[in-house]
Amino acid sequence: MPSKGIDFANLSLMDALDLAILVEDEALVRYEDFAAQMDQHRTPDAAKFFRYMAENEAKHGEQLAVRRAELFGSAPPTVSRALIFDIEAPDFDAARAFMSPRQAMQAALASEVKAHAFFVAALPVLKNAEVKALFEELRDEEILHQDLVKVELAKLPPDSGLSDDDFVDEPAAQ
Amino acid sequence: MRKDLVFGMAGSGGDGIVSAGDSLLQAAAAEGYHGVMTKSFGSQIRGGESSCRVRISTDPILNPGGNLDVAVALNWDDFLKFGAELPVSGTTVVIYEAATGVAENEIPLVGVTPLQVIAVPIAAMAKETAGTERAKNTVVLGLIAGWFGIGAVAVMKGIRKKLAKKGEELVEANQRAFDAGRAFAMAHPLKASMNIVASETKGDVKLITDGNDMCAAAAIFAGCQFFGGYPITPSTEIMQFFTDHVWKYGGAVLQAEDEIAGIGAAIGASFAGKKAMTATSGPGLSLKGEMMGLASIAELPLVIVDVQRGGPSTGLPTKTEQSDLFAAAFSAHGDVIRPVLAPTSVADTFRITIEAFNIAEYYQTPVIVLSDQEIASRKETMDPIDTTQFKIINRLRPAGADLVDYKRFKQTENHISPISHPGMLGGTYLASGIEHVESGAPTNSGSVHTRMNEKRTRKFDSLKDRKDLFEVTGDPHAPIAMIAWGSVAGVCREALAMAQAEGLNVKLLVPYLLYPVAEGVYNDFFGSVQKGLVIEQTHLAQTFKLLRMHLDLPKGLRSLARSGANPFLPGEIVAALHQLLSELQRSHEGKLQPQE
Amino acid sequence: MSATCEFQAKDYKSDLKPIWCPGCGDFSVVQGIYRALAAIGRPPHEIAFVSGIGCSSRIPGYTTAYGFNTIHGRALPIAQGIKLANPDLLVLAAGGDGDGFSIGGGHIAHLVRRNIDITYIVMDNQIYGLTKGQLSPTSQKGRVTCTSRFGSLEQPVNPLLYMLAYGAGFVAQASPTDLVGMAAIIEEAIRFPGFSFVNIQSPCVTYGEEAQQIKGLKAISESLVALGHNPADRLAAMDLAQHYGEKMHLGVFYRNPEPAPTYDGLVRERQALLSKDALPKERILDLFIKK
Repeated sequence: MPSKGIDFANLSLMDALDLAILVEDEALVRYEDFAAQMDQHRTPDAAKFFRYMAENEAKHGEQLAVRRAELFGSAPPTVSRALIFDIEAPDFDAARAFMSPRQAMQAALASEVKAHAFFVAALPVLKNAEVKALFEELRDEEILHQDLVKVELAKLPPDSGLSDDDFVDEPAAQ
Repeated sequence: MRKDLVFGMAGSGGDGIVSAGDSLLQAAAAEGYHGVMTKSFGSQIRGGESSCRVRISTDPILNPGGNLDVAVALNWDDFLKFGAELPVSGTTVVIYEAATGVAENEIPLVGVTPLQVIAVPIAAMAKETAGTERAKNTVVLGLIAGWFGIGAVAVMKGIRKKLAKKGEELVEANQRAFDAGRAFAMAHPLKASMNIVASETKGDVKLITDGNDMCAAAAIFAGCQFFGGYPITPSTEIMQFFTDHVWKYGGAVLQAEDEIAGIGAAIGASFAGKKAMTATSGPGLSLKGEMMGLASIAELPLVIVDVQRGGPSTGLPTKTEQSDLFAAAFSAHGDVIRPVLAPTSVADTFRITIEAFNIAEYYQTPVIVLSDQEIASRKETMDPIDTTQFKIINRLRPAGADLVDYKRFKQTENHISPISHPGMLGGTYLASGIEHVESGAPTNSGSVHTRMNEKRTRKFDSLKDRKDLFEVTGDPHAPIAMIAWGSVAGVCREALAMAQAEGLNVKLLVPYLLYPVAEGVYNDFFGSVQKGLVIEQTHLAQTFKLLRMHLDLPKGLRSLARSGANPFLPGEIVAALHQLLSELQRSHEGKLQPQE
Repeated sequence: MSATCEFQAKDYKSDLKPIWCPGCGDFSVVQGIYRALAAIGRPPHEIAFVSGIGCSSRIPGYTTAYGFNTIHGRALPIAQGIKLANPDLLVLAAGGDGDGFSIGGGHIAHLVRRNIDITYIVMDNQIYGLTKGQLSPTSQKGRVTCTSRFGSLEQPVNPLLYMLAYGAGFVAQASPTDLVGMAAIIEEAIRFPGFSFVNIQSPCVTYGEEAQQIKGLKAISESLVALGHNPADRLAAMDLAQHYGEKMHLGVFYRNPEPAPTYDGLVRERQALLSKDALPKERILDLFIKK
């Protein structure tokens, strides 16, 4: 479980919402990072997709933030980023030089699957009914996200079956 | 009566001959004489042979002297090991230990008949008067006082001071040994008196120190606040001086884990804004090469002292040589200029070290000071130096507009860019060994590389105009010339005076700046030169070749070069100059008569 | 030392674009460093960041601190010179495993025993990436690379055990996977008064083996906190550190509960103690007057 010391059993709704926001934020930062890496390494299509994913994460994070504000105002959060890592964010090494849009989407899809697994795994431990409801909602949303990526994947022309690695230059020694 | 005496003494390390030399030099200084003392050792750490040469004169001394006036051999095996370093001639008085059992007419010096040979029961006298043979060196000092008139009072005054803490008994034992030596001399007068004339400057304040201590003191005077280094003979005393004193001036010293870390820490300190230095000898210079390249491309001021010894590799660690010239001028890879300076004496080590810091700071570059074992470890008496006459230069700092969008490696008219340091607001930049654009950002652009190479080498153009880093003596129109640097320059200065006294029209060029080669200075000097010598202690004639690489040398200029630990004698140089003169005369005669 | 004020991670990010391959862990490491520095709050111009040569050694240029990208293996000597010349500076050193433990390996013991207040961050990827994938000092025995076609014949060094054995006062390991956790460890290392070392498992996406990629490392990672490790216990830390290469323990291995005086601190004391003995500089040659 990629979390450190979250007391799921006693998680309050506010904490759960704050955690969910942090999860979105972590993914947002990771996708922005990937987009910058792709820009820097002449892989514009993947950059574009990662930026699209970053916008989605931002949007979702904002929605959660609005809810949190409505329910709990500006009460200071009691959870921190230190409690989580790599929940909805793809692994930092999922980016690759010259990755195709398909590979970029597959990386994103894998991370949505991972996020879904996180919420699924947490659910049996939760005691607070409101939190449970929130986690179920988030779990289902991850399915929607997966579908979103799958739609994008479907838009791509069929895979040639050739490996890009057979075409690109070798890395340059420095 | 003599105005100048050269003593050469050798024995085993246990004979305390170097310690005696020290006492003699200090006594001479106290009596108002000028003095120079050099030391030379065998390769054993203890118990090997050791020797010293002490030259005492009523006039300022230019070098440790040529042939000995007085040779002292406590045993012949040790004395002979020093060969050409302790040359005995027909004008030498030889004093030796009678217990060696060698008859006065059978001393093992081949092909030479000394002026006088005297066997003295030195060990026996020491044993009898002081109760130990260890006092042999004090007996020798007594002999010298008796025969040559040096130190009759001052030697024991010095010994008394040195041993004060050890008790009156030891002082008294030494006094008896000294008196016995002196009495022996009085009882056995020399065939011809060799007493030195009284000095007129008795009572004047004199400095006594060696090149290493002088170098370190000059560095601190110049504002050096960091020393990083690693022990290596014969440069280690520079680091030792720093560990004794630099803290007092807010500085620090790091005895690093190796030569590379030593210079690395100094580069770090310079990056942090402090004047910094490292010191080493040949093997260490080789190790520091990559770091020197870094300091050059990052344009960081740094002074590297190389106290030369015989090379390559371990070579002759305790003997002097000038064979690091190529290694200094061409240290490390890449197209780069690193200025190389060389002092010629302990006294001018002060000025040259300050110049090294000034050049390093002004041009933002590593500067190599090529000292040598002789200068570094020889002790010299000096008149006090007026330190206020020396200007200290500090690196150009960015200010005001420079700090708006600061460009560390900004192209400027004189190719020197204001340099910031950590802690300075607005001055942050990336220093690097990788090629960089003006801001410091890495690049691999060929055109930037060309421009930056141009910046880093052209900035030294003005250094080559520094005529004050060269000394020309003798008639500027003389047809015969000498060029020499480092400790060899001192021998050539004396040779010049001797040659002039013999009516030869000669001049001498002593470069303190060896690299970059200042073409203009040499070409001016070469104007009148028809014959000449580049005199150096390298086997491969490195100086001659370095000059030939940069200049069209006069046809008659040739090399007089030899390996280290084979000192030049002023007399042999004068003889070589006479040879040049006769060649010159023959060629003039030849011109008058058509050839065949 | 100037007063600390509010800084954000972005204030430490420079305009230079990293040369690292996409997916490289070093991207996260530099982010972690930005965060740690922001938490500490020293202004960029009071920080000196030194590195050697290698992919990861490009890192100082990606920060707004005073950077010094030096030569291969020599970040530590240069960093020491900086700290001793100006102990007020926050001095960071960073580089790869080859830079630190192969060509520069001889310097580490000495920096550690001197206890100069520098934080050393190693981005350990078990490979020489910049020169295209040769064996590194932390490559596992048997590893096939372009200089070990038939497998490496040598045991790797153990950076954690080395540091602990040399007597480092602070030794930790982190992974760029957990950016925030890594940043917290770096922050703690910087705050530690004395030499501190953070080994970051930052796999090479271009030349690394599958087992060294993040998925492989996640599988063998274990939190030292979760294991109940007491970071004041040096011997326990050494015990755990022996599993370097088999397990990826994350967190603080050792934090000396009674930090020893630092070399730079002692230098200051000595300077203060001896300054009264200084002859005026213009009279320094008086030292050579023999009366």
